[in-house]
Amino acid sequence: MSGAHIACCDRCASLTGSSRGTAGSAPADGLAGSTASATMVARRRLLKAAVFRPQAEPGAPLQGADAPGLAPDDGGSQSAGFANVFQLPRTVSGTILDVSPHVLILGDGGREQRFVLTPEAVAWCGAQLEPAALIQGDRAIGRNVADRIWANIGRVTGVITERSGNQLLVDEGATRESQVITLQPRSLGRIQVRFPTLEPGYLVDIIGIRRRDELIGMIPATSQPAYPAQRLPAPPLVSGHVPKSISGSATWHEPRDEPPGILGVSYPALDPETGCAEDLAGGMRQGYSRMPFLAIGSVLRIRNDCTGSSCRIPVTGCTPIGRLFNDRCVTCGTSPRGRVADLTLASFIALGGELERSCFNATITIGE
Amino acid sequence: MTMLNAIREVQIPLLAAMLLGGCAAKVLQMIRAGSAREHIGPTALFPMHLRRPVAIVLCLVEAGLGLGLVLTAGPFGQNDPADGIRLGACLLFVVATCALIEVRQSLPDVGCGCFGDFSTSPVSSRTLARSVLLAIASLTTVNLGPVTWPRTTAGALGLLAILSTEVLLIGVLSPEVGEGLIRLGYSEPCELRNVPASRSLAVLHRSKHWRRYAGLITSEVPEDVWRELCWRFIVYPARYQDRETEVVFAVFLQHRRPVVHVALVDSSTGAPLERPASKQRSRWPGLAALPRPARSLSPAFNAAQARSAPADLPVSTDL
Repeated sequence: MSGAHIACCDRCASLTGSSRGTAGSAPADGLAGSTASATMVARRRLLKAAVFRPQAEPGAPLQGADAPGLAPDDGGSQSAGFANVFQLPRTVSGTILDVSPHVLILGDGGREQRFVLTPEAVAWCGAQLEPAALIQGDRAIGRNVADRIWANIGRVTGVITERSGNQLLVDEGATRESQVITLQPRSLGRIQVRFPTLEPGYLVDIIGIRRRDELIGMIPATSQPAYPAQRLPAPPLVSGHVPKSISGSATWHEPRDEPPGILGVSYPALDPETGCAEDLAGGMRQGYSRMPFLAIGSVLRIRNDCTGSSCRIPVTGCTPIGRLFNDRCVTCGTSPRGRVADLTLASFIALGGELERSCFNATITIGE
Repeated sequence: MTMLNAIREVQIPLLAAMLLGGCAAKVLQMIRAGSAREHIGPTALFPMHLRRPVAIVLCLVEAGLGLGLVLTAGPFGQNDPADGIRLGACLLFVVATCALIEVRQSLPDVGCGCFGDFSTSPVSSRTLARSVLLAIASLTTVNLGPVTWPRTTAGALGLLAILSTEVLLIGVLSPEVGEGLIRLGYSEPCELRNVPASRSLAVLHRSKHWRRYAGLITSEVPEDVWRELCWRFIVYPARYQDRETEVVFAVFLQHRRPVVHVALVDSSTGAPLERPASKQRSRWPGLAALPRPARSLSPAFNAAQARSAPADLPVSTDL
């Protein structure tokens, strides 16, 4: 039951399935940075709640003993003002088996799902198009039972390690394979306006069409930082108390090795003591962004400032690349700071983000 | 010497100091970075292959103008050479102002680079105002005769006052000064402080709670260690009343008298267990009999609450 509040909605079966951990369920070390197991997330929340609950006197009945499944600090999740997650848009994904102007059939693991397309339904596959223009076999992800569909969308965010003609080899971190971006001549100009230095050592963040192991670059997801990844400017000093709510930019990343549909967030400042498994091969530990240190399993309340949707989402990984950027999201106004959260596809879509816009202005609240 | 003349004379050493200081800071930045490839403020506007030559030319121009202003301040190189250098300085600051406006619009996260690594904060209106001020200051020095030492004490004090006022004005317009002052008295918030886990373990092992629960703990190695904000959580396997349990410690990450919280939980269900009775006798026996105030369950998971740790939490500061 406690896990249900962590993962915050019915679509997080992988996270809610095992809310109670056992003593041996979590590794003692090396856990930070790896994709969090649902057990670890739930277990840490449970233990944290236990250690901060009022201590019962010897002989007195234990609080919560009559409701053992309810973590004490989850009480807050039921308070007024918590996002009604059941009203959040639902995310659907699968391979397109058939599509007509009115019906979309997606296949996912041998299961067929039919969705009625509304007249307002819009698709994206490199550009805005009618859903009927999608092709069988395209990998699609959609929102609100297919009123918004993205086909074969992909994103590569990382450090350029090699350039050969119009192909870039990009390092996305130690736990991910290097990605190849192919820049088509018709998109090259558009991309180079925002990414003028397509040279090894510089950061790149490009959205495009996923074709097997390469990404056909279509849209620059942000503006390129003027500094190379190895020469980050000194981060600004932070003094005083760190606020619980921090506004900035929320981006998204492709699932790679994450289970599809998982609601999670990669956070730019995991405790350096435990390390970030996704760190770059170059071993850059320090990023530009100064954020409070958290761990796998910490829960953030993330609010899409453009739509007002919010949800509590567990930290499931770190974002070694995101912390190197000092960009701003301009989806609805200019975000006051750079990347504060790197959401999974499902989280991003559920919170009302438009994938091709690359980010939304977000406010994260820590420690709720 | 008129007041206006005194103000004009003060500009020469001030401009020379700014130009030479800026050049030295940029050279230092290049030495630290190992190359001139790294952008220095407005050089980020240029294609990468041009950044290095532009950065070098900028440094040379600054050094040349700075030295030129000093050398031509006196009788040497009067009239044309001196005016040429002063006009050159004026032109440099005008161009710099235009470049900073462009940087501010097209690369809002890039600093002005005026003083190398010290100028990393994004270009602001203060930075622009400083550049404009220096351009005006340079312009006022054109057609100025040789700078002479004041003949009277009053004159010297007047010059000093003008110089101090202008230095203060430039200081106010310089984001680098504020940043430097902040660095001098900077204390990092605990949420951002990198605290080794070994230190938290050492703190824990010296605490009263550790002594109280040590008998239950069955492993020397913690089962899980993680950190959230200002707290580090340390979990040990334990055995209590023939049940598999876990002892969870939360150690506040501060240097002096850190707060420690503890809980004993059932391993299989995660339910908190009644804590074992303390073997230590309270110094004030009557205190334990006092009714505890009822408290609503608060998150208790932020530094502010931690600093005023609730009385009903098991807290130890007796290290």
